[in-house]
Amino acid sequence: MGRVAGKKIFSIMALCAMVGLLLLPIAVSLPSLAMGADAPDAVKKEGEAKVEKGRDVYYKTEGIVVGAPAPKTVDGPRDYPRYNFESRVLLWFANQQHLYYGSFVLAVPIFCMVIEFMGVVTKDKAMAKRYDQLAYDFIKISLTAYSLTAILGGILIFTFLTLYPAFFGYLSGIFRPVMHIYALMFVAESGTLYIYYYGWDKMRDGFLKWIHLSMSVILNVIGTLLMFLANSWIGFMMSPAGVDEQGRYLGNIWHVIHTALWNPLNVHRILGNMAFGGGVVAAYAAYKFLASKTDEDRAHYDWMGYIAMALGVAFLIPLPFAGYWLMREVYAYRQQMGITLMGGLLAWLFIIQATMIGILFLSTNYYLWQALGRMRGAEKYQRYIKYLVFILCCGYLVFITPHTIVMTPAELKAMGGQQHPVLGNYGVMSAKNGGINVIITTTILSFVWYMRGNKVSTVSWSKFGNIFMGVFFACAYVNIIWLAIYGYYIPANVRVGLSVPQVATTLSCLFFMFPLNAAMMKGAKQMGAIEWGKISVRSQYALIMLATAFTWMMGLMGYIRSSVRLFWHVNEIMRDNSPWAYTHTVGFAANMISFNVLFFWVSILFVFWLGSLGMKKAPVEAKAGVPGGAPQPAGGH
Amino acid sequence: MGDLVKEAVTIGWPLFALLAGLFVYSLVSSKDGVARKRSLFKLLIGTVCAFLLMLAIAHYKGSFYEANRMLPVSLVLITTTCFMMGIYFPNHAALFKIGGFMFLVAAGLSGYGNWLPQVEGGFPPAEVKLDFSSMSAQALADEGEKIIFGGIGKNKEQGAVGKGQCPLCHAFHAGMLGERAPNLVGLPGRAGKERLEDPKYSKGKAEARDFAQKEAFPGSGTAENGQEYIAESHACPSCYVVAGYGVKGTNDKESPMPSIHKPPISLSLPELAAVDTWLYLREGVDAPSYEEIIKSYEKFVPEADRPKQQEEKAGGGGGDLMADGTEPVDQIFQKAQCVACHTIPGIPGAKGTIGPVLEEGTNALLRMKDKDYKGTAKTVPDYIMESIVAPSIYVVKPFPDNTMPKIFGQKLSAGAIKKIVDYLSQVKVGSPPPKIS
Repeated sequence: MGRVAGKKIFSIMALCAMVGLLLLPIAVSLPSLAMGADAPDAVKKEGEAKVEKGRDVYYKTEGIVVGAPAPKTVDGPRDYPRYNFESRVLLWFANQQHLYYGSFVLAVPIFCMVIEFMGVVTKDKAMAKRYDQLAYDFIKISLTAYSLTAILGGILIFTFLTLYPAFFGYLSGIFRPVMHIYALMFVAESGTLYIYYYGWDKMRDGFLKWIHLSMSVILNVIGTLLMFLANSWIGFMMSPAGVDEQGRYLGNIWHVIHTALWNPLNVHRILGNMAFGGGVVAAYAAYKFLASKTDEDRAHYDWMGYIAMALGVAFLIPLPFAGYWLMREVYAYRQQMGITLMGGLLAWLFIIQATMIGILFLSTNYYLWQALGRMRGAEKYQRYIKYLVFILCCGYLVFITPHTIVMTPAELKAMGGQQHPVLGNYGVMSAKNGGINVIITTTILSFVWYMRGNKVSTVSWSKFGNIFMGVFFACAYVNIIWLAIYGYYIPANVRVGLSVPQVATTLSCLFFMFPLNAAMMKGAKQMGAIEWGKISVRSQYALIMLATAFTWMMGLMGYIRSSVRLFWHVNEIMRDNSPWAYTHTVGFAANMISFNVLFFWVSILFVFWLGSLGMKKAPVEAKAGVPGGAPQPAGGH
Repeated sequence: MGDLVKEAVTIGWPLFALLAGLFVYSLVSSKDGVARKRSLFKLLIGTVCAFLLMLAIAHYKGSFYEANRMLPVSLVLITTTCFMMGIYFPNHAALFKIGGFMFLVAAGLSGYGNWLPQVEGGFPPAEVKLDFSSMSAQALADEGEKIIFGGIGKNKEQGAVGKGQCPLCHAFHAGMLGERAPNLVGLPGRAGKERLEDPKYSKGKAEARDFAQKEAFPGSGTAENGQEYIAESHACPSCYVVAGYGVKGTNDKESPMPSIHKPPISLSLPELAAVDTWLYLREGVDAPSYEEIIKSYEKFVPEADRPKQQEEKAGGGGGDLMADGTEPVDQIFQKAQCVACHTIPGIPGAKGTIGPVLEEGTNALLRMKDKDYKGTAKTVPDYIMESIVAPSIYVVKPFPDNTMPKIFGQKLSAGAIKKIVDYLSQVKVGSPPPKIS
């Protein structure tokens, strides 16, 4: 007993020491950050007689100039050395690969944290073991990817230094006060990850398990802060702050980090990473499912795919709303930037994005409908699927219809105006919002059906609950569609405001119907078990479709975000004077995105294969917790 | 097709050699006839797949810049390869089928992207030295129209946008709805009356204003006449916001319009004078003189904030000429840095290897006959001119596209380009180089 207590105390002390060590670099750096870096000392030394002040381009505050102006580059080997290839494309490739892997390794520990927590709090011991094994499998996959992320990060820095030395020099000069923090946090992230992974078996039970779980929280806090710091670079490039009009640093690093677009970018990226991570793990599970030789393995990977998909989609649903917020902030920051994105040079890319969002939701729904097939008792819902297909298709067609598009004068003449004579009537913003909200609401409905697929509610108010849910969903559809139509009868500037009640309706379905359904299904009568592993092969291709489409969309959105700066390295501060200061065609961008996506998937399949080598050597005991062919309780979802 | 196959074999010969080796090994090593047949059949399938893969890579490589709309064809080829492998190599069928499916999805998405209308964002507009102060009112107005719409007579063209980017938000003709900013029809008449008389404008009482900014800069005061109102609204859009056009959520206290003399638009005062002159003249109203307009802007734009055109050009993508045509041709080649990439017979130091040897007197004719040539030139000088101004129209193999900057049309004067064209037209393979003039 005393030994166990001693272990606990030791564990807590070790954890505290670790947290202390992790926070040390930040604590050490804080005084200099608060004072606005170390540069003012240099200014003092030069003499107090000459202190030049500048005005922050964004915050409009005055500050002492402590940095050099943004370099005015010229096309030549000094500022733009190059190989015999377009430097921008090389950097695009290096950046995108690093981002894919970075997103994956930041997302997976969040999954692990959630799944490990579910395992710890679940009373059913068999389920707890399954969750624990699943979390362990996830982190094992991410560990191999983690080394690749670091290697790709190194390649990215070398690419920057080799091809864009002036630009990289300027940016690293601006971010100098936090560069070492970034590096130290990366070390801390690696250390925590390795302790978390290798300590899994040692900290399997009791209080030590809670310690292990809290380590995953620390791991994710560090990972998220790392991402925020990385985001501050791109935020600064898009909407610079903390510098004057010449790009001279004014000594306040918080202003440089906390730019106009930093927060929306952070939220958008967290959600995006999670959805992406879910997609990758779901694809991994699908691959393992398709390659499985036994029913046991199929059952395990079917379940794994479902959990990964559910987590990914949980973050995919709020993603469009985070996107709206980001766009709103872009418009607020620079209206021209917003117009270039949504109604100008890059508008066609948003049509592709709309198509991709539709594909993602259609794939999700398709998977859920297929998944109903492995439940006994879910037949009663399957006959209604055709109506959901109809609703989804209508919503999708409205959502992808363009309204105002960029055209050449010849195209304008041929069409007779900027709007298509027929289609142009349908693509206004409120109708598009109606389209996507109908799609999301239908996805929520599919999830509700799935969750009650093999169950019959036994609560006394079940009849009332069912009617209430039905009426709630019906009213939601009517409200969304009515507002979409009403938008045609009011001016455009008022119409924009309709998105708020439309989104609120969808979110109401999400936040009220899920808990209500869960309450109704508490203690529900089981009509039959979920037969894990007995799902169609097509469903696994839906998961792969989800993963590929999400990877493609991530590449697309990254390209759009980066391209909107047009011929600026740092928007309105540092001009791009390389021979590539123009925007590629949509087709070229699509090809490049496809190349990046396929390179990522070929390499990650290699990582999966490496992971499977390790699994083959794993002791048989590790598989004990894997769900067998025997039917599992419906609580699995 | 022949070229493509040749390229595929060139790229994939080590793989084909390996497969051939395995083929021979299977023939001689296996004693079991059935096993040998099976392994030979698999090798045959593997060879076909390897060939398809190399064909796809060769196609991808060849089309990367020139015909990128055809790139999805490569992805479809790889999809076919993957599914074939999936059928005949069942041990790794899942991996191949998943791979094939991913390539198919990517091919579809790439194809979709290429099917849409292709819009390419050009380089930032080149700045040309113009002396606005000595122009007639009409000439000044023409320059103004170019700044607003990108060209003379383009003001009625939908979607025409110039350096000033005004039409992105403003409408300029009666009946057109300006959703983001007021329609500017009748502005010269409206500015001095309705706007200045609006109590919210607080003429002469800047401190009483209830907007995000009270004055363009401390002490600038408010406008006293219509022209000053236009100048103030360009320099300080948030000093007065027309009802209904403010930033959302600010209750029309703040304008979404940027200060036009600051980045990203950065119009100089003379350019703003040209814009204003067009606004007057197109309504049949006499415009204030150039000096009067400049003076109105000076009231609201402090000297330190006035764009310095010279400085901008140093950092900008165009403007300053590399050579104006008065120099001898060898100096023009030096100044334009052609010598860094090309070998040019007769030009000292021109030993570059990044681009082709410029013996255009001989080569231009051959290139115009090439089936890949998509340009419009019919003569040697035209071909050289086209290659300078639009180098991507035809790229000499095996050099990659987009290595040569596309800015020489703006960076070299017409005289300088003519000298280059004259010289290169006379450079022929095997002949002594022409005389430098």
